[in-house]
Amino acid sequence: MTATISTTETQAERHVTVLVDRCAGCQECVIRCPAGALSMEPVTWTAIANDAMCVGCRQCERTCPFSAITVDGPLAVTERYDPPIYQPVELRNNVEETRRGYDTWEEAIAEANRCLSCPDPTCMRGCPAHNDIPQFVAAVRDHDLERAHAILRRTTVIPDICSRVCNQAAQCEGACTWSLAGGVPVAIGRLERFIADHAAVPAPAVTATEDPLSVGIIGSGPAGIGAAWDLIEAGASVTVYEKDDTAGGLPIWGMPDFTLPDDVATRPWRQLVDAGVDLRLNTPIPAESIDQLLTVHDAVVVAHGAGVPIRLPVPGADLEGVVDATSFLKGAKAAMMPGGDPAGLRAELGVGDQRGARVLVLGAGNTAMDVARMARRLGLEATCVDWLDERFALARPDELAEARHEGVDVRFLRTLTALEGDGRVARAQLAHTVQPDRAKQPTVLKTVPDVLDIDLVVMAMGYRLDASFHEALPTLPIKKRHVGFAHGRWNASGILKNPASAYNHHNPVGSLALDREVGLWAATLPQRERVWVAGDALTGPATVVEAMAQGRRAARSILDAHPARPDRSSDFRADHQPRILIAYASAGGTTAALSQVLADALGVAGARVSVLPVGQVGAKEIAAADALVLGTWVEGLVVAKVRPAKAMRDWLATAPNLGAKPVATFCTFGVNPRGASDELATLVHGVGGTVVTSEVFGPRDRGEGARLHPTKPEAFANRIAARVIARVAAVVA
Amino acid sequence: MAVQTDVTTEEHGGVSSGAHLIDPIAVAIRTRHPEEPPSGRFSETDPSRGLDIARHPLVAKILHDRKFQFLMILPNQIIFWLVIGIGLLGTVVPGLNFATAITWYLWFCLVFVMMVVVGRAWCAMCPFGGFGEWVQRHAFWARKGKSIGLGLKMPERVAQYGFLLSVGAFLLLTWIEEFFNIAGPGNPASTSYMVLGIVSSALLFFLVFERRTFCRYICPLTALIGTVGTMGSVAGFRTRDREVCQSCQTKDCMRGDADGYGCPWYTWPGSSDSNSACGLCTECYKACPSDNIGLFVQKPLTSVVAPSRRRADVAWSIALLFGLVLYQQLNALTLFANFDTWLNNHTFFPHYPDPISYLGIIVGVAVLLAGVAWVFKVAFARADYTPAVSGRAFSDRTSTFRAYFLPLMYGIIPVVGADYFARQLPKFFQHLPRVPVAIGHLFGFGSTSSSLYNASLISSNAGIIAVQVGVIAAGTLASMWTSWRIAGRDLAPVGGNKRVVQISAATLALAIGVLVAVLYVLMNAAD
Repeated sequence: MTATISTTETQAERHVTVLVDRCAGCQECVIRCPAGALSMEPVTWTAIANDAMCVGCRQCERTCPFSAITVDGPLAVTERYDPPIYQPVELRNNVEETRRGYDTWEEAIAEANRCLSCPDPTCMRGCPAHNDIPQFVAAVRDHDLERAHAILRRTTVIPDICSRVCNQAAQCEGACTWSLAGGVPVAIGRLERFIADHAAVPAPAVTATEDPLSVGIIGSGPAGIGAAWDLIEAGASVTVYEKDDTAGGLPIWGMPDFTLPDDVATRPWRQLVDAGVDLRLNTPIPAESIDQLLTVHDAVVVAHGAGVPIRLPVPGADLEGVVDATSFLKGAKAAMMPGGDPAGLRAELGVGDQRGARVLVLGAGNTAMDVARMARRLGLEATCVDWLDERFALARPDELAEARHEGVDVRFLRTLTALEGDGRVARAQLAHTVQPDRAKQPTVLKTVPDVLDIDLVVMAMGYRLDASFHEALPTLPIKKRHVGFAHGRWNASGILKNPASAYNHHNPVGSLALDREVGLWAATLPQRERVWVAGDALTGPATVVEAMAQGRRAARSILDAHPARPDRSSDFRADHQPRILIAYASAGGTTAALSQVLADALGVAGARVSVLPVGQVGAKEIAAADALVLGTWVEGLVVAKVRPAKAMRDWLATAPNLGAKPVATFCTFGVNPRGASDELATLVHGVGGTVVTSEVFGPRDRGEGARLHPTKPEAFANRIAARVIARVAAVVA
Repeated sequence: MAVQTDVTTEEHGGVSSGAHLIDPIAVAIRTRHPEEPPSGRFSETDPSRGLDIARHPLVAKILHDRKFQFLMILPNQIIFWLVIGIGLLGTVVPGLNFATAITWYLWFCLVFVMMVVVGRAWCAMCPFGGFGEWVQRHAFWARKGKSIGLGLKMPERVAQYGFLLSVGAFLLLTWIEEFFNIAGPGNPASTSYMVLGIVSSALLFFLVFERRTFCRYICPLTALIGTVGTMGSVAGFRTRDREVCQSCQTKDCMRGDADGYGCPWYTWPGSSDSNSACGLCTECYKACPSDNIGLFVQKPLTSVVAPSRRRADVAWSIALLFGLVLYQQLNALTLFANFDTWLNNHTFFPHYPDPISYLGIIVGVAVLLAGVAWVFKVAFARADYTPAVSGRAFSDRTSTFRAYFLPLMYGIIPVVGADYFARQLPKFFQHLPRVPVAIGHLFGFGSTSSSLYNASLISSNAGIIAVQVGVIAAGTLASMWTSWRIAGRDLAPVGGNKRVVQISAATLALAIGVLVAVLYVLMNAAD
């Protein structure tokens, strides 16, 4: 192992330049510098740097709001150590894990010492579960694996799995400050694996409760694991319905042992069943049965994944010898198990024992790599084709390298246009494509296509949702794309400034992470009354870690919302203080003032109330509320364009699904509200809210002596409060 | 069906109101504590809380409206495109052409009034920067995500000279203006070409550099407004509570958010100690998530006297700008005209203004002022005085000479400002009535024979001189007061008896005032 500082004489080599004319003294660089190399010059009140302390990470460059600081010189970081890939002497029938973790403390600590413990760690934003990476790395440095597990436990329940199957290059490691500065990131995945490999992942610590919340979870994949774990720990009664005969979902049936050993993949369910989760295997739940589940459970988490293989509709796709990745991987995994029959599988696939039989794998993502590498272990030649440019490949870089090392022929910028054969597939026509930009779809060229002789085709382009759930949950899948401006803290962290380094294929880690946030927060919102959705079922095919994190978010949202099935006792209801969010659009202050009066009335009535301008309300605020009150001023000119204020309309146009939450609305008007109230109700209905009352509030309602009812703001507020509280109580009941 | 969701992905707080739903990101952020500014660093420059006019609901509503600045710019935008068009296509009689009449009889004078009273009021409505910004943002008022153009930042080796770049541009433009007799006013087309040139170069800079780099560094007027404008009574957008700004984790006022762009002028309300670099564009006010920014007014001259950070680029700019206005006074003297002609004959330059005399006098005046500061240093500086350690950039280096030169130049800002203002008055008083005539001429009535065309607000030279000398007297008194205050706070600790230093600094201001007043009288004699 080498651990030399790449720039030993570097102290004099790095130079930080503060553009004093533009430095505004905001200290964004000072508070984020991992090395403490920056401070403030008292006279000019601008930043000054101590070059000798600078490590060259460029965190200051990325975080300065006015681009008033530049760093020259190399990065002061030791070389990263990656254990060599395990290469079996005989690949055939060998499913031993190929990627190795750190074997010794020395290796782990040397790598941990590369971590800067950034004050505003971008790696943690890059991690879909938001693991507190600097802290668990620090725990490794301190030889304290128990603390490391405790830190990981706050955000993940499957560190052993994630550390093996995550594409760290596009996530935490891509967002490591060294990576963003153009260097080689800390081996975060390997350090996480070191923790999980050298100290057992703690089992759920179950809290016993009387009259527990009952939650049914459809699916036992990563999202189901995440949800079940947090629910059972909080004392809920958890029942998991799994359609297969084995729990675990895709990591079990879709990931070969050489990537994820079976004993690691099955660990969470062994612990969950021991902890008391009621796991019901071979129990498929069709979409129409969700209502039935809601009669016996207080809440349901839909986490059935997205397991329907995508098939490419090309001529010849119906020939014999064309299979999908699911059936291939399931069959291959069973065949490779002790006592399995690889020869029987080859015969079943129609490739018998012929030497040099070639399988064409459509796609070059991680599933395609698994298929191709499994095919190599079955003694087949494998060719993967993908129409993307290799620069924008979906597979993790190390997986791609390993596949090629094992003899897989991976061809990018090719797409299948036709399969040919007499009854059975024999040839494939592969057209050339071009993709100049990551954001653009490849273009198929009209050049002469390649013709490849093949014996088997495996379609491994990915999966899609089971369409039968569409009717029950029509809002799914959500589009996992961040729209609009990133939150200021994301901007401030600097993660959005640079793509990751060449080491990580220049992944746009910041925007990828922001997109994932959309899925995380969508999982906190019910998609229907008492129905939460998480994982691939929510977003379409994604990653194991995202599914797990979404499952946990859903579980925690359920615990906060305290839903109740219809036959629940009133005692169960009384345990929960209704949480009400008042979101207002106010121009002159009347609506804001009325919102405050309303908040007081709701508070007196026993609710926990928060009041926010509508522009500050996002999924998080909605998730933390059992009911909403939306108040807006009415814009327009007496008769023309009289409607709810634009701020409210804009918000409702992009608001996440409200999951049938009760919503009270009120409009404040000057002359005549006309149809504003109805329009607001329609908009609320359009985003999945249930309007429980719509009120208007005019000039005559403002004083004691007014004749019209309500006669004063308090009375008005009390009326809304009574209706909202009554409705929330009914929902909770 | 795919559903578009737009969710705010993170909140300012860390832990949500629920007991279980915890945001892990906020928990993991462990930024260092910001350093506290030295006591007194901002106490003199912070406006009183009661002077925040943005607390008024109507003002707040107007300032929050994204169309506000657009509506400020729009009328000027229309006027100056009319100037370009009418200057090229309209009558060649300068007094009758809308372009020359509005530009030189009214606008140039109004700009000085605005800068002395408000500060960067013109910048808030400037059509040149406004046009560039509209193109750069590809929006009139909407908040768009990405700007077009290269988005470069001004390199440090250039940016460190701050306002001096603008002074260079102003000197060049003024020389061109004198050479082609644009502001005389001469041929109206020349005015059009000049405005078009400013618009084009502004647009070019807006497309090459980020934000308002042009306005901050290059605009020919930015140094003048940034120095003379510090006399103004509008402090600009400042923090309401510095603690809130310092602990703010997002700095949306600098980076921008959905409601506003990050400050185009590279100014942070949390540390602003002067109105010099606040363009009054309202973006920070709109973007602040904590409603912690106000629009403050202040006592006149506060931004001249109060800031403890003195910048060399500002001081040299004042010296050079004084040189320029003094040159413009001198060139009205017969003696100078003879000298310039003699110089042109010997340097084979076609006509006035000879660049050697032009630059020679301007730089000479600046060096002379520096010499006065050097005399102050020799006379007063303590032998054991050690300048504070500071940065390596031009604008912030420290020395004993600078310890005198910088405060002294800040002190004479009012008299320099008054000189510029007085210099514009003759055209205003003598020819302002021509503006309505020129407007009428566009519609077919109004001519050089009309009585209004030949009318004046003040017709006699003596009357105008009286006003000019009055303005200079007011500026001189203000300058003596600022010099007295600045000398007492900044110069006395460097050495010498406090009263003597104060009297000396105030005397310098008085001497300058007397000099320029006398010159106005002599200019009349020259006329």
